[in-house]
Amino acid sequence: MSSVADLTAGPLDTLDPPALDAAVAAFLYREARLADESRYEEWLALWTDDVHYWVPSGTADYDRDRRISFINDNRNRLTTRIRQLQTGVRYAQTPASTMRRVVSNIELLAVTGDEVEVGSNFVLYELSLQATNELRIWAGRSTHLLRRREGQLAMASKVVELVNASQPLPNLAFLL
Amino acid sequence: MNPGLRAVAASLDISDRITPEKVHGSLYTDPEVFEAELHRIFHLGWSFVGHESEVPGVGDWVSRRIGRDPVLLVRTREGEVTVLANRCSHRGVQLCAGNSGTTGSFSCMFHGWTYSLAGELRGVPQPVGQHTDAAALSLSRPGGVDSYRGFVFANPSGTAGSLHDHLGTGGRELIDWAADLSPVGELDLSAGWLGQRSPSNWKMWAESDNDGYHLGRLHASLWRVAPGTQYESAVLAGEERVVSTCRDRGNGHIELEFWKGYDKELAWLGAGREKVADYVDALVAARGLERAEELLWRGPPHALIFPNLFLGEMNLAIIEPVSAGETVHHHTPLLLAGVSPAFNTRILRQSEAAMGPAGFLLPDDATASERMQVAFSGTGGWMDLSRGLGREVLEGTDRVGHVSDETVNRGFWRHYGAVMAP
Ligand code: FES
Ligand SMILES: [Fe+2]
Repeated sequence: MSSVADLTAGPLDTLDPPALDAAVAAFLYREARLADESRYEEWLALWTDDVHYWVPSGTADYDRDRRISFINDNRNRLTTRIRQLQTGVRYAQTPASTMRRVVSNIELLAVTGDEVEVGSNFVLYELSLQATNELRIWAGRSTHLLRRREGQLAMASKVVELVNASQPLPNLAFLL
Repeated sequence: MNPGLRAVAASLDISDRITPEKVHGSLYTDPEVFEAELHRIFHLGWSFVGHESEVPGVGDWVSRRIGRDPVLLVRTREGEVTVLANRCSHRGVQLCAGNSGTTGSFSCMFHGWTYSLAGELRGVPQPVGQHTDAAALSLSRPGGVDSYRGFVFANPSGTAGSLHDHLGTGGRELIDWAADLSPVGELDLSAGWLGQRSPSNWKMWAESDNDGYHLGRLHASLWRVAPGTQYESAVLAGEERVVSTCRDRGNGHIELEFWKGYDKELAWLGAGREKVADYVDALVAARGLERAEELLWRGPPHALIFPNLFLGEMNLAIIEPVSAGETVHHHTPLLLAGVSPAFNTRILRQSEAAMGPAGFLLPDDATASERMQVAFSGTGGWMDLSRGLGREVLEGTDRVGHVSDETVNRGFWRHYGAVMAP
């Protein structure tokens, strides 16, 4: 999939809405594909230097310093997460699950300057190949903060609210 | 439990599946064994329900299970913490849905019976037709409920003797040690719980939580990318160099003494004294220099309080048996009362790193347990648990081995065998 919009010309909020929609959708689809295929390095490269990767234990409306989260990564911790997966002996993802997710219901929530906040839904099928070969279904809502960087979109924040975030979950060692 | 299963639970004899060196894998997979465990361990014995700090205010409740039975841990109007069946005395509807909440009373959705926070039946709609005396229809509660330093345990049958004796000196020391880390002597389990659901047997979690042999291998991926942790000297440095030990404290309570192998004080916190000077000062003021120095070196314990409470360093976990082949491992950060918010946030971040379905450690433990479950699910076979038999020693009544030894597994299974005897 190629990028359909020229993002080098100027700030995101000066783009034609359809062009911005298309660029955002293309980014989300690409991000989903890289995660599905456990292409760790390429997925990590989608991030800006500042990272906020959050999978809350409920709706994303609480103080992350007071309540526990499934994932609550800054740049440092996300890098550790990726490097661990890349060792080849992260047994909870050895072999990596096969996955396919569908991303839909994409809505631009806010566009300011060079940033766009976008909401989307996903359904993910994961074949857990490490022990039980169980097919697991994950679903939820993602909120991305995307930023223009060198004429392309990059993500500064991704918050994933799982529909079952309040419940016990099986291994979540892949990229959500 | 239905009468057929109860008969099985009462008569099942598993003594030929446990030897001093070996345990048969069917103890992980056999549904009859699981039913017997619910009866003999979780009904006739003590297990951990929750901590008083989880229900700080009147009417606060959290939802738990004792074995498979849903219960509520509740703070009553009198300020007591009690355990009630989460099941209406009328026709059995679960009273509270969700993980936690706050209420003035418990009101049943079905016909509207209402109970006080202490579980007494207080209101029945259309009361003229009510036949049975309300006094006989209180929410049922375990025959035994007792607490030690805020840790609430229950014994449904009420026949297990005292909690004091169940914990023993060993169990009480472990809990003291965790609570004493707080300058005010209290834990603050207020950061919520994460659950890890795993298709594996609950006893595997009790064991793997307290297995000092697997860290270098199963968790190699983490040490490679996060060098410099306290575990390097405590457990990873090689069998000959590591001086840490494991300890069977009796009654099924087992411990990994990583602290013996730490190479500096506060290694467990990953912060030097200067970064947490306020905490150090407060701890010395509260505990005296000697005990404070000991605590600053050791940090929190790493131990199982039989059968279901894991004191996992900066985490506290409940092992919830769901079926022979399914377990939920719930954990919460071991936050301390009387410390700065920043100190507790540090603990929270460590807990998120280690535990839960997306942590850097626990998913690998889950995978190992799940593969055990798969491998034992057919005709199964025996496990060898003899590691360290030739070198463990007695210290008082405790058995102590090298941190990599299966002294702790043997301690777990010895007690398990004793309480599972028909
Ligand atoms: S079942 Fe609860 S009031 Fe009838
Ligand atoms: Fe482990």
